Amino acid sequence: MEPAGGLVFYGILSCGIMRLTTKLGIILTLRCNSGARYLARSDLSSGSRIFARAVVTAALLLAVCGPTQSAEKPSKTLGFVITTWDTAIVETQFGDECPEGFATGNDELWWRGLPKQDRARLTDNGKRGFSERFGIATNRGPNKENVCLNPTVVVDPPHKIVEGATSFGMNMDGTTDGKTTPKSCQHQKFTGVDGTPAVDNQMYRLLGCTYGWHFYGQYQDNANVNRKTTGFGINIIEVTGVDDPRNDPDVTVNWYHAVDQYALNAQGDFTPFASYRIETREGKSPYGAPAKGKIVDGVLETQAADMTLPFYGNYTWMDQKYRDLKLRLKISPDGKSAKGMAAAYYDVDQLMYYITGLGVVSYSAQSNCPSLYVAAHQLADGYPDPKTGECTALSAAYNFDAVAAFAIHPDAAATKQADAGPIKRVLTALGIGE
Amino acid sequence: MKLGFLRTTAVCLAAALALSACGKSEPKVEAAGPAVRRVTEAQYRNVIADLFGSNIVVVGRFDPLLRNNGLSSTGAWDAKITPTGVEQFERMARAIADQIVSPTNRDVLIPCAPADATKADDACAKQFFAKTGRMLLRHPLPPEQIQVTVDLANKAATTFNDFYRGMSVGLASLLVSPSFLYVIDTVENDKNGIPQLNAYAKAARLSFLLWNSTPDDALLTAAEKGELNTKAGVKKQVERLVASPRLESGVRAFFGDMLGLDEFEAIEKDTIIYPTFSLAVAHDAKEQALRTISNLLLTERGDYRDLFTTRKTYISGPLGRVYQVPVPRPDGGWAPYEFPADDPRSGIVTQIAFAAQYSHPGRSSPTIRGKAIREALLCQKVPDPPGNVDFSQFNASDGTNKTTREKLAEHRANPTCAGCHKITDPIGLALEKIDGVGQLRQTENNAPIDTSGDLDGVAYQDAIGLGKALHDNPAVPTCVVSRMYAYATGRAPGASGDKDLVKYFGESFVGDGYRIPDLMKRIALSDAFLAVSAPKSKAATPTSASAAPGSKEESKS
Repeated sequence: MEPAGGLVFYGILSCGIMRLTTKLGIILTLRCNSGARYLARSDLSSGSRIFARAVVTAALLLAVCGPTQSAEKPSKTLGFVITTWDTAIVETQFGDECPEGFATGNDELWWRGLPKQDRARLTDNGKRGFSERFGIATNRGPNKENVCLNPTVVVDPPHKIVEGATSFGMNMDGTTDGKTTPKSCQHQKFTGVDGTPAVDNQMYRLLGCTYGWHFYGQYQDNANVNRKTTGFGINIIEVTGVDDPRNDPDVTVNWYHAVDQYALNAQGDFTPFASYRIETREGKSPYGAPAKGKIVDGVLETQAADMTLPFYGNYTWMDQKYRDLKLRLKISPDGKSAKGMAAAYYDVDQLMYYITGLGVVSYSAQSNCPSLYVAAHQLADGYPDPKTGECTALSAAYNFDAVAAFAIHPDAAATKQADAGPIKRVLTALGIGE
Repeated sequence: MKLGFLRTTAVCLAAALALSACGKSEPKVEAAGPAVRRVTEAQYRNVIADLFGSNIVVVGRFDPLLRNNGLSSTGAWDAKITPTGVEQFERMARAIADQIVSPTNRDVLIPCAPADATKADDACAKQFFAKTGRMLLRHPLPPEQIQVTVDLANKAATTFNDFYRGMSVGLASLLVSPSFLYVIDTVENDKNGIPQLNAYAKAARLSFLLWNSTPDDALLTAAEKGELNTKAGVKKQVERLVASPRLESGVRAFFGDMLGLDEFEAIEKDTIIYPTFSLAVAHDAKEQALRTISNLLLTERGDYRDLFTTRKTYISGPLGRVYQVPVPRPDGGWAPYEFPADDPRSGIVTQIAFAAQYSHPGRSSPTIRGKAIREALLCQKVPDPPGNVDFSQFNASDGTNKTTREKLAEHRANPTCAGCHKITDPIGLALEKIDGVGQLRQTENNAPIDTSGDLDGVAYQDAIGLGKALHDNPAVPTCVVSRMYAYATGRAPGASGDKDLVKYFGESFVGDGYRIPDLMKRIALSDAFLAVSAPKSKAATPTSASAAPGSKEESKS
C-alpha cells in the first residue's frame, strides 16, 4: 500500500521544476521529470525511497504552513486618453522669436499683387471677405493654378521663420551641434524650455511665426475642439508591464486609436477612467507601435519607434506617420491625468498635404503654401533622400494633455470569428474546421 | 467511516429540518377586507409594454405614492388620484391610444381592419375592445360594456370620418377606467357561503405580485374556468408564473421598492464636487443594483444573504468611470463584472446606488447610510432627529475634525444625539471609503479614513466586514420576509396574527435556503395571500358593488 506521502511525492515530481519558499525562508528547488519519477519509484533502494519521501513530505508541509510559493505580483496596466494635441510652439511675451514679425498669408500676397481696379472688381468693392474670396485668392498661379496644390508655380517672398534659441523638443539626431549625420542634415539646435541642450524642432522653426499655429490660433484650437466634439482621431497611450506606477525601469508603451467618443462629465470636461474600445483590423491595431520605456518619479520616457497615428482636426482626417517617435509623459501623483510631449520626425510632404487640405481655415491662420513649401524643404533635418541627399522630414515636438483611461481590447475569440470571413464562420458554426 | 457517519448525520439533520419546515402548518390570520389599490407607475408601464409592446411610449407624471412601513407600494393600497393625476392619466391614455392605432402599429395591434377606414366599423371595433378590454381590465367585459365602448368609438369615427380615431377614443376610455387604474378586490361567497376573492381578483393579485403586471391570457382563462377557486388550480398557475422569466419583473419591483431605488433617478449631486456624477450614472446605478439582484437571486438562484457579500455585478460605461474600472462595452451596453478579490467593494451596499442615494448632495453620510441599513435591510426604526440639533460643532471649520468619524464623535458624545447615532454611525462609517457618489477614497481632508465599526456586536474593519456582518445577521432574512409579506398583502406585519405568519414564512425561507423565488411562491400559495373577509359596509358588498370588475353593473358606470 502506498503511503500518502509517496502519492503526494509522485504528484509533485511530475511538475518539472518547483520552487518552494518555507516560512523560515528556505528555498527548495525541486527539479524533476517523468524519468526522475520512474527512478524514485523503481531504482532507489527502499531506505533511499523512504528518506526521499520524508524529505519531500517535510518540504511540502513546511511550504503549506508557510507563505507558500513566492508568487510574482501581477503587473499593472496604465492607460491615458489624449485630450489635447498641439504642435509645440514657444511664444515669448513680445514675439522676440519672430523679429521680422509674423508670416504673410496667401490672401495678403494675392491682394498686394492686384491692381486697384481688380481689387474692386474681384471683391465686389471690398465687400467680399477672406472666406468668400478664398477660391480666387488661392488660384493665383500664372494660369489660375491653385498655389497650394502647385506651390512651385509662383515665387513668393521667403517665409518668416523662428529665430529664437529656445524650443520644446528632444534631441532627435544624437548630435550636440546639428551637423550632418547619415540620418540627418545640418541644422541649428535649440535649447529646450527646461534647459535641455541641443534639442531639435525644425517644425517649430518653420511654423512658430505663423499666426495660426500659436495658442488660440485657428489650427491648434480648432483641431482640439473638432476632436472633442466629433470623437474622431482620439489616441490612447497604454503602458503595460508596470510594477510600480511611479518608478519602473522596464515598461512597454503602445498607442491605439479609440473608436468611442470622449467621455465628458457634467461640466463638459474630460472624465478620467473612462473606457475606450480600440480600433483593430484583422485582429491587430492599425496604429501605434510598441516601444520600451521606463518610469522615473512618475515621468515615463520611451525609446524611439516609427508609427502611424490617426489624426483629425480642422475637418481633416489623416493617418499621420511619425518616425523615431519618443514620448515623455509626466503622470500626476493621483494617476488621474498626465501631461506629455512627443517628439518625432514628420515628413514634409505629409505636412504640406495637411496644410493644403485646410482650405478656408488657412485664411484666419495667415498661412501661405508656396512660402511654406520652400521653407519646409530648406529646414528639413531628418531622413535624407538616398538619391538627392536632401532631407525629407522635420524634427518636431507635440505637447499634449491626457486623462487616465482604459483601452478596451477586443475579445480575441470574437475578433478571430469576426475576421474569419463568411465561409469560415459558416464552417465553424457547422462544427467543420477550427 | 467517520466521513460516512458525518454524511449520514448531515442528511438526517437536513431531512429533519425540511420535515420540520414542511410539517408546520400555516398559522391562521384574520383576513383583511376587500381593498382597492392604484396601479403603480411601474405596473402601468409594464401593462402597456406587455399588451402593446415596449415601443409604445408612456410619457407622464404619476401621483407619488405615500411610503409607509418601508415600502411605497403599500401606499398604493389607499392611494387617491388627485384632479391633476386624473388629467395626467387622461393625457397618457390619449397618447398611448394614438400610438396603438397609428399607421405604424395598427396592423399588428388591431386584429381586424375596417371595411372602410373613413367610417365606423361595429364588428371590428367589437372584436378589438372585447379582446383588449379583457386584458386591460383583467376580466372579460360584459357585452353591455363592450357596446358602450364601441358606441363611443363609432361616434368619434363618424365625427372625424376616421375609423382609427374612433378606436383611439374608445381605447383611451378604457385606459382611464377606474377598473384599469385600480386593482379592485371583488368578493363573492364560495359554495359554503364564505367570502372569497373572485377568480379574476385572485388572478390580478397573483400576477401583480409575481410579474408586477396584468394577468396574461392563460391566467385569465384559468380564472374563467374557475381553476383559481381550487388550491390545485392556484398552485398550477403560481408554479407557472414563478417559472416564467417574467418573474424578474416582480423581483425587480419588490427590491426596487424595498431599497427605495424608485426614488433614485431624482437624486441630486453637486457636480462641482462630484463631476463624474450625471443623469446617466444615476440611471445606470439603479439598473446595476437591480441587475445584481436579478442575477444572484434568479439566474443563480442564490442565497439572499449573499447580496451583501457578492462581488458579481454588471457594469456600464458611465459606471465604469465612477468605479474606475475598465468596461467592455463603453458604448452603452451592459457587461457582467466581478470586483477583484483585493477590491474593497463587495455587496450591494458598496455599489453606487446605495452609496449615492444615502448621502448628501456634496458629501457622504455615515448616519444616513447607517439609518438606511437599519430601516431598509434590518427593518428597524430609527427615530428622526430632534428639531433643535446643534450642528455648529459638527460643521466647525477650524480644521480640528478632519474626518466625518471625528465630527460624528461629537454627536455620539452628546446624550441627546447619542441614542440614535450609536446605532447608525458604526454601520455607516464602514462605508466611508466610498464617497457621496460611490467613488473610492483613502483619505478625507488628507486624514486617513478609519472604517472600523460594529453591527449589533459583530466588529469589522471595513465595508467587506460590514457585508459579512449583514450576511450573518438574523434580522436580515427576517426583514426581507416581513417586507415581502407587506408588499404582497399591503398589510404591515404586526397586525393580529401576522407576526406568527411572518415567522412561519421566515422559517420556511431558512429551510428553502434563503431563496427569494421560493419565498414569493410560498406567499403566493398561502391561504393568507388570497384570503378576504366580507366587506364591512353594505355599500361595498359584492352584490351591491356597482363598479365591481366583471359585474354587469360596471358597464353602466
